[in-house]
Amino acid sequence: MSAPAVSDALAAIVGREHAPGSAAQLAAASVDGVTPRWRVRPSSTDDVSRIMELAASEGLAVAPLGSGSALDLGMPPARVDLALDLSRLTGITEYVPADMVATVQAGVRLDVLGRELGKHGQMLALDPYGGPSRTVGGVLACGATGQRRFRYGTGRDLLLGARFVQADGTVTWGGSKVVKSVTGYDVPKLLVGSLGTLGVIVEATLRLHPVQPASGSWLFAFSSREGAAAFVADVLASSLEPDRLAWLNAAALVRVGMKGVEAGVAVSVGSVAEAVSSQRVTLASVGSSHGGTVSTLDEGFWSGLGAALAGPIVVKLASEIRRLAFWTGELETALARLGLSSAVVGEAGNGVLRAAAEGSVSPEAWAKDIVAPLREALSTEGGSLVVERAPIELKRAADVWGPIPEPSLTVMKRLKAEFDPRGILNRGRFVGGL
Amino acid sequence: MALSPAFLAELERIVGARGVVSTPEGRLAYECDMHTFYKGAPDFVVLPETTQQVLELVRLCRREHVAVVPRGSGTGLIGGAMAPVGGVMISMTRMNRLLELDFPNRCATVQPGLINLWLSQATREHGYYFAPDPSSQMVSSIGGNASTNAGGPHCLKYGITVNHVLGLELVTGAGEILRVGGKAQDAPGYDLTGALVGGEGTLGLLTAITVRLLHIPAGVKTLLASFSAMDDASETVSAIVGAGIIPAALEMIDETFVRAINEGVGAGYPKGAGAVLLVELDGPEAEIDAQAGRIVQICHDHAALEIRVAKDDAERALLWKGRKEAAGAVGRMSPTWILQDAVVPRSRLPEIMREVQAIGARHRLVIANVFHAGDGNLHPMILYNDRVPGELERAQEANDELLRACLAMGGSVTGEHGVGLDKASSMPLQFGDADLGFMARFRRVFDPDGIMNPGKLLPSHPACGEGFRPAAPRLPAGTWV
Repeated sequence: MSAPAVSDALAAIVGREHAPGSAAQLAAASVDGVTPRWRVRPSSTDDVSRIMELAASEGLAVAPLGSGSALDLGMPPARVDLALDLSRLTGITEYVPADMVATVQAGVRLDVLGRELGKHGQMLALDPYGGPSRTVGGVLACGATGQRRFRYGTGRDLLLGARFVQADGTVTWGGSKVVKSVTGYDVPKLLVGSLGTLGVIVEATLRLHPVQPASGSWLFAFSSREGAAAFVADVLASSLEPDRLAWLNAAALVRVGMKGVEAGVAVSVGSVAEAVSSQRVTLASVGSSHGGTVSTLDEGFWSGLGAALAGPIVVKLASEIRRLAFWTGELETALARLGLSSAVVGEAGNGVLRAAAEGSVSPEAWAKDIVAPLREALSTEGGSLVVERAPIELKRAADVWGPIPEPSLTVMKRLKAEFDPRGILNRGRFVGGL
Repeated sequence: MALSPAFLAELERIVGARGVVSTPEGRLAYECDMHTFYKGAPDFVVLPETTQQVLELVRLCRREHVAVVPRGSGTGLIGGAMAPVGGVMISMTRMNRLLELDFPNRCATVQPGLINLWLSQATREHGYYFAPDPSSQMVSSIGGNASTNAGGPHCLKYGITVNHVLGLELVTGAGEILRVGGKAQDAPGYDLTGALVGGEGTLGLLTAITVRLLHIPAGVKTLLASFSAMDDASETVSAIVGAGIIPAALEMIDETFVRAINEGVGAGYPKGAGAVLLVELDGPEAEIDAQAGRIVQICHDHAALEIRVAKDDAERALLWKGRKEAAGAVGRMSPTWILQDAVVPRSRLPEIMREVQAIGARHRLVIANVFHAGDGNLHPMILYNDRVPGELERAQEANDELLRACLAMGGSVTGEHGVGLDKASSMPLQFGDADLGFMARFRRVFDPDGIMNPGKLLPSHPACGEGFRPAAPRLPAGTWV
């Protein structure tokens, strides 16, 4: 089929105004400088299915697109022919507040959904740093997490069921619409964090949580990383039940407006008012026992946390929980050695750190002096370093995902070959060149 | 050489002569799990002690095209750990060591045969516990829990087993040792850990599991509320959840069970109650105090006859004792029953409970209910007498209607027991061809030759071969549900 014929076929599915996209729309959907030839905006699962069928028969490389905020994630694609823009799939398909479950289309924005759920005192406990304009489908496909994971888990724990379109256009359902089900394989787990490489999520059934009647947030400031780490360890070893436990280094604290503090831990607690205040008292005493000083934060602090991670380079480091302070030091030192400043924000109860770095660095030094040695050291404890955002020359110099040990990589390749044998879904962007 | 003396010699070479059970009497002990309806003895039972042995066993079976059936404690309720087409059963009971406790990282690594409760016992003095608590937890293994993605009363607040598994070591049906996940979270690539939990032994054999440990909550409060009508109790469940309270557990016990439990273990449940709700709250003291007050109010608003709050651990244990031994208690009323594990959206609870009663009346059968009301996970037990002609058939019809009624409300075939052989044929009620096709292909990635636990989890597998003869359908007294 010729390019104009593909355009016509796409327009026949979604209408002229939704394909093939203007030059500006195409440029906005480019992935690492690779601009798609078509940008198509389906309005239904059926549209997505027909588009994928067409893509499969024509061998077109497809990049699914939500809000477009995570186009940096992954390796530069081998090819992108068609940007599959899901932003018109904005329906809240089913929401029975008494079930605390909602089924929504993939393009629903987190803030839009949040407002609807908020009317019933409920929420979806996904709070990725990219902010509330991100889409449900995108957040799930990217495996994006935020600070609420400490209490509520990640997309893996919150996605109960998913409708997705396979590479050949087959509409498929996995999981269930109830909060508890073990019927068959847990297919949704396979989709979370898979970057759309096994199928395109078009609809998600999500576990919701009640908004707590009262909440409080505080920053505990310490004069050393070790003090902050001891505080975190004590909180984790106690029966305190925080919602969020955020780790911030000095540079990150500056970015959220707090100067002159070496290390900080932001904590929030959600419960009934009595339990919020009783936990605040306990937290304060644990904090002061490690030399920390406490100040009250407003809720806006949490939505501003994403801004602390703004910058051209963002790396995510996952390690053992207890090694947070150590790895913060390693990251800072490695980056500083090459003249890069770094703001570090961590999910302290989960052993996850992100560093936003600024400054210029050569691709060779990036690969040899930062990425490689950190990965090697992390491998001894099963940790990982993922470059979530970086200029393209840095991405080319060092695989952003890092090596996947065997035979896991082989198994992942078998999965990809099984479900996307022609490799048309986000080809080349995922781990191991998948 | 399959199943020949030479094959036996190969098995013995791998695990030693004392690691193989090959006598007819010995094999008979492994012919079923707790769902004794489904019987099928394996040709051999092997008891490996190392991952390497498991690997060699799988490779041997793959080479010889022999079915492999994994087994933990054998307490499953789905005909999962039995051998419908014979083959080699790999029992994990000798791989039962606690490999590592790591409190700073809030996790433990165990071998699959470790008993669930042992882990919580080993961690309690340090202030931690393992949250998944199937009623069988004093005998079921963590490997079995992870294989079936087991639930339990407290998964209302804490989630099922998969939410507590951080990493796995698995010998795949393709004969590889796969290590996925671990202490460090968010490993890049597909979430194989999440996708492998609940595989019911059809993808491979778990040989080590890293699980999350939770800190023991500051306080626990257990309440028991009785109602004259099931409807009021069901509405109370909805109202509690609607008030934004997620109790640790929210269990319902119907009139039939209240009577049986009182006569049996003597839990002292209020006599004459039409339904009893068991509510457990845990967390900071101030939180559970406030929530308990609210729940008492909600119960009163729904015409509760009586509300008790356990004053101490002993009272709490007594309130739970009845619930935990419910199925055993019903064994005194009827020798035979069919157990259902379907789920409905929790808002449909009052409706489905009325439907359960209607189905029972229509088929002239008693259907007793003790279940995880908070998450809509039903456990109706359809009582019947297999000596009365036609009663079994009526019970099976009632069971089928019940399942369909749950699915019509948007529910699920199984909430926590799993699919196994028992519900494999029900899968098409919930999933379409494309969905089942996806699962079948997923399975093939891990088990290319179809040797792993054949006949389980997915329908239309050549399971009903020779040697598969359903015996009298019954669940033994003492079954954990």
